Amino acid sequence: MSNNNPYIPMPVQIAKITNEVDTNDIKTFRLVFLNREDEEKFQYMPGQFAELSIYGKGESPIGIASSPTDPGYVEFTVQRAGAIVPGLVTAALHNMDEGAQIGLRGPLGNSWPIDFLEKKNVVVVGGGFAFTTLRSLINYMLYKDNRKRFGEITVIYGARTPGLLLYKEELAAWEKRDDIKTIITVDKGNETWKGREGFVPAVCKEVAPSPNNAVAVICGPPIMIKFTLPVFFELGFSKENILTSLEMRMKCGIGKCGRCNVGSQYVCKDGPVFSLAQLDQLPRDF
Amino acid sequence: MTDFKKIEENLKKEAKKLLESGEVSVVLAYGKGFDEKHPMPYAAKSVADVDHMIFNEYCTYNMARYLVRYPQGTKIAIAVKAADSRAVVQLIQEEKVKRENLKLLGIPVMGMKNSKTGEVIDSKTTCGMYNPILYDILLGEEIHGQKTVSPYDVLAEYEAMDKDARWAFWKSQFDKCIRCYACRKACPMCYCDPCFIDQLKPKWADKAPQSPGNMMYHLTRFQHLAGRCVDCGECSRACPVDIPLYLFHKKVAKECEEMFNQASGMSLEDKPVLVNFRVDDSDKILE
Amino acid sequence: MKKTAIEKISELAAALMEKGSLLAPIKETYGHHFAEIQDPQKVDLNFYNTVMSPKGAFFPHKEDFIRYQIGKPVTEAQPVEVDAKPVILFGVRPCDVKSFAIMDIHFNAAGIVDPYWSQRRKLTTIFGYAFDLNQPVDGADFYNSLGVYAADPEGSDVFMVKKGDDLLLKGITAKGEELLGDLKVLVDAGKDDEKFYEETLQKGKEYKTRFLCIDQDVIAKKLEDIFHNNDFWTKVSSACLSCGACTFVCPNCYCFDICDDTLFGKGTRRRVWDACMFTDFTLEASGHNPRTQVYQRLRQKVNHKYSYHVKKYGVISCVGCGRCTRSCPVNIDIYSIIEEALKV
Repeated sequence: MSNNNPYIPMPVQIAKITNEVDTNDIKTFRLVFLNREDEEKFQYMPGQFAELSIYGKGESPIGIASSPTDPGYVEFTVQRAGAIVPGLVTAALHNMDEGAQIGLRGPLGNSWPIDFLEKKNVVVVGGGFAFTTLRSLINYMLYKDNRKRFGEITVIYGARTPGLLLYKEELAAWEKRDDIKTIITVDKGNETWKGREGFVPAVCKEVAPSPNNAVAVICGPPIMIKFTLPVFFELGFSKENILTSLEMRMKCGIGKCGRCNVGSQYVCKDGPVFSLAQLDQLPRDF
Repeated sequence: MTDFKKIEENLKKEAKKLLESGEVSVVLAYGKGFDEKHPMPYAAKSVADVDHMIFNEYCTYNMARYLVRYPQGTKIAIAVKAADSRAVVQLIQEEKVKRENLKLLGIPVMGMKNSKTGEVIDSKTTCGMYNPILYDILLGEEIHGQKTVSPYDVLAEYEAMDKDARWAFWKSQFDKCIRCYACRKACPMCYCDPCFIDQLKPKWADKAPQSPGNMMYHLTRFQHLAGRCVDCGECSRACPVDIPLYLFHKKVAKECEEMFNQASGMSLEDKPVLVNFRVDDSDKILE
Repeated sequence: MKKTAIEKISELAAALMEKGSLLAPIKETYGHHFAEIQDPQKVDLNFYNTVMSPKGAFFPHKEDFIRYQIGKPVTEAQPVEVDAKPVILFGVRPCDVKSFAIMDIHFNAAGIVDPYWSQRRKLTTIFGYAFDLNQPVDGADFYNSLGVYAADPEGSDVFMVKKGDDLLLKGITAKGEELLGDLKVLVDAGKDDEKFYEETLQKGKEYKTRFLCIDQDVIAKKLEDIFHNNDFWTKVSSACLSCGACTFVCPNCYCFDICDDTLFGKGTRRRVWDACMFTDFTLEASGHNPRTQVYQRLRQKVNHKYSYHVKKYGVISCVGCGRCTRSCPVNIDIYSIIEEALKV
């Protein structure tokens, strides 16, 4: 944060915009810092998020989609919100072009617990748009200097249709690698789709990852989580070994404004990453 | 003098009967608070609940504000004083509740008191009527023979002010506003979801408690209540910083009555004033 | 120890105004209220407690962060400097002084210091003021239940006690003593005065408010246990209007919103007080709102103060000042809710 005031955003520029899906409402924004010191201070780990700031519109908390092993830029995959409640910031962001300047506050929140994942097999399960910080984690683990710190990596990722899969090029690249098992599925294919069809929970059951020395990292829409968790419990994963990331309405992002609490935990400061064992301690207020 | 104890007895008796027979599933009335002078609105759902019901001179609440919280079709009994009964009638006119689902327990009363100041409440801050205009069961004796005071008499001083003086008056009053929205929530007619002040697209006023936003919020709310406010005075009593909201509501109500020859919430046959069109409506607005 | 006649309080006020900004109680139609004093005659110590809490001295209702001018290709933006002037907060009751220490924990928590709160705290000298033990206690107060006494000097820089028509002032911290030494308008107090002061502090412990034995760990656990008792929460919240009056008068409520207010391209990003009682407090852009019902929001409020805050910061986020009960349009009383909760 610039000049030690955690409420003041740092200026960043949009270097690249990638349209991720065929409905054109999810884009990846590659941001570069305008000030060297800001870039040096912005040390982040996979799982963290940042507040994207647009003056006149507000701020939006978005998970960081790039891995810290990709230096020189930070990426955010943003969906244009606004089906029911108008999303001012995301709508404005989607209307911007490369070269535009916005603000950034971060990195915020806790990260996927890398120390906890070391030497273990990691099963990453994602659904739809919730794949962004999982991609950050996967790229971090696959990075040449990091890969040997982790055991087997299995990725199960599903979207409603082939057009809605994020990071299609990267998914294809992962499928070709032999140090990661990549399973992509869609709820409903199309004429050109040659891959799997099936809901993520069913695919998890089929793949049946072993719980031995394994941690599951699961992110997705509520309906997917609801049906995927029982599969992992049946497979024998304990609640300490299932991790997820929560979302709540946020404003300050630094645990001061009181908005995003679930019980005594502020999702922006004590989370967003929680294990299921930790969530069990909290009231069902989300 | 109003026999508060008798009304309380009758209230509890009727409430028990209605709940026992299953005619209603909830009775909206008043209950004990942390002390005598601070009763609370109370919803009794069973005969046992009725034991906690009370009625005294501090039970100023307009229970009509809770009607919209229940799903359409719920059978509700509601204790109503004069202005409260008008609020119920207005809500029926606006089709938020149906007449056949309500049992109105009418309370004719004189001598209600403001629990913050201890002052007697009269037509200076409310509609000044004593008897409910609509009821199914009357819980006390109707009050007749009292000198009628117009609820608009209190406006004399206000109306003597010219435009600039009025603007300065309201500006200094609204500078006190802390935007707690107690006024909006206390009002039986403020049931919009979302309320205009909470909307982001478009953003009608800023959220900071300072002049421009405060003026925008209050003045717009007054306009939204034109022809609908029943002058119960709850908004002014709810305000933690004593803004005399009743002055503006009364002024707007007076103008509406003069223009359209209809007061809010007086008859089930009326249609809401600013929604309805009559050929003989005043053309004043075009002058 | 120093002393002055209460009827000459405007002289003390004038002297304090030379040292910095003076925030003191003044009388309004609706009660007393802490305001920045322009006219020393306006200071009025003839009150029980103010309607709004003095948290606004450190955490104002509106705090501007950044001024911006929307432009293409770049929007110009300038952070707003935090006020750097010294402030004297005069006439704060012991329960409110305690509330500042509780808020300090939150605003300095987790290594992230809120610069606005901490800067103002550093620059402010607090003149605490004991409750008048000759006046009856207000029925809504219950600060004894939270470990606060009517004449407790803890947390004040200078502590004041009323002795008849006089005001006794004692420096508690070095900052307070230094300031007192500089105020020529005060006279030295005598031995009798010092004895009276000490006696008042003792008598203050016997000045009783409503009392409920509240062990913070017990209530925190109890509230956790009854979280899903919808009958209880629906019952205690049935009258609640879900306005926000209680939050805004509370000395310990700290929720805020950050909003950008723009007019014709020029605007300010600022924070304003917000309330978890408001319907759309947790409304998400997807349309999902975890707390759509009044009982869920009131449950959040009570749980936050008496359970979550205890778990997070080790202290109840309430000082029993009674303001919420006094301001509530329907007389909801948090003391009664806690009492009921303990009985469930």
